[in-house]
Amino acid sequence: MWVYEKRLQYPVKITKTCPKTAKLIMSQYGGPDGELSASMRYLSQRYSMPIKEVGGLLTDIGTEELAHMEIICAMVYQLTKNLTVEQAKTEGFDAYYIDHTTALWPQAAAGLPFTAIEFQSKGDAITDLTEDLAAEQKARTVYDNLLRMIPDPEIREPLKFLRTREIVHFQRFGEALEKTKDKLDSKNFYYFNPEFDKDMFHGKL
Amino acid sequence: MSENHLAIANIPIQQWGELYTQEEALNIGTIFQDLNMPFYVAESVMGTTNPIASGMESLGISKEQSDREQLITKINQISFFLDDLTLYLDTHEKDAVALTLYHKKTLECAELKKQFAQKFYPLTKLCVQYCESGETSFCLQDGPMPWEGACI
Repeated sequence: MWVYEKRLQYPVKITKTCPKTAKLIMSQYGGPDGELSASMRYLSQRYSMPIKEVGGLLTDIGTEELAHMEIICAMVYQLTKNLTVEQAKTEGFDAYYIDHTTALWPQAAAGLPFTAIEFQSKGDAITDLTEDLAAEQKARTVYDNLLRMIPDPEIREPLKFLRTREIVHFQRFGEALEKTKDKLDSKNFYYFNPEFDKDMFHGKL
Repeated sequence: MSENHLAIANIPIQQWGELYTQEEALNIGTIFQDLNMPFYVAESVMGTTNPIASGMESLGISKEQSDREQLITKINQISFFLDDLTLYLDTHEKDAVALTLYHKKTLECAELKKQFAQKFYPLTKLCVQYCESGETSFCLQDGPMPWEGACI
């Protein structure tokens, strides 16, 4: 069960219309390394995690990613809410406008629609946590790239906040992987699948 | 714990260290000084204060709005402090310093949310009970939508 809180985790207040920037930032909503992908990845992986605390961490980070998705959407919304058709035409927003007007719809910067193919839920704790470490790094790189392209401080401040979160999450997933390794035999972490062959833990879980 | 091994990722466990203040932490994106690793293209985060996250942008607005923004800013700051602390505790369940801080901040946060509902509008369903107007009409949808821009 989730409880909605009527505020953004980090406030967004953008005063200028800029559809070109909106299209770039939208990638962190529906793109391959975006926040929607992140939350669905973690919230899908958690069910079969053998170590309860790791499932709990995936729930908490997955929930925070939903809040990040809301921050990104608020940014896209504020960048386009007063859009004119002329601006849509001259700033590369015309194709998006035809299908969605100024509504929010998850897609990558290059127009590819959101798809679950972008993330994995593999059913092996080591594999999934290693994917999660990579996912945080990929998202950080996207924020780096956005920060190189966007000069406006109103837009940069939330992006900087979100970038730092990727680094913190990376650290936590690393600690979750260490917790998982502690329950396994360090001579061969790959002797069995910790998520499927649960009997092999011999009551150590 | 955390011994290095071949053919698997090895990440050191974070040790408790210096924290940012509540105000700084929301600007930066973490409460932990050890985890603040800015990108050189983004100017150093320390020394720049985001007026929005710090609730400092209050020119030409009514007293009610500025009071409201101040209180929501405090709620944002303390809630974020708790968000970051929660993830730390998820992997450091027995850290006594973190636990004490968590309990203290949780109480403060609940009190601020109660005040916000009493003075302005409820942020969650459980805050509806504190709203004065809540007895005659349902107040959950009162107040601006959060995506409209910093509690305007």
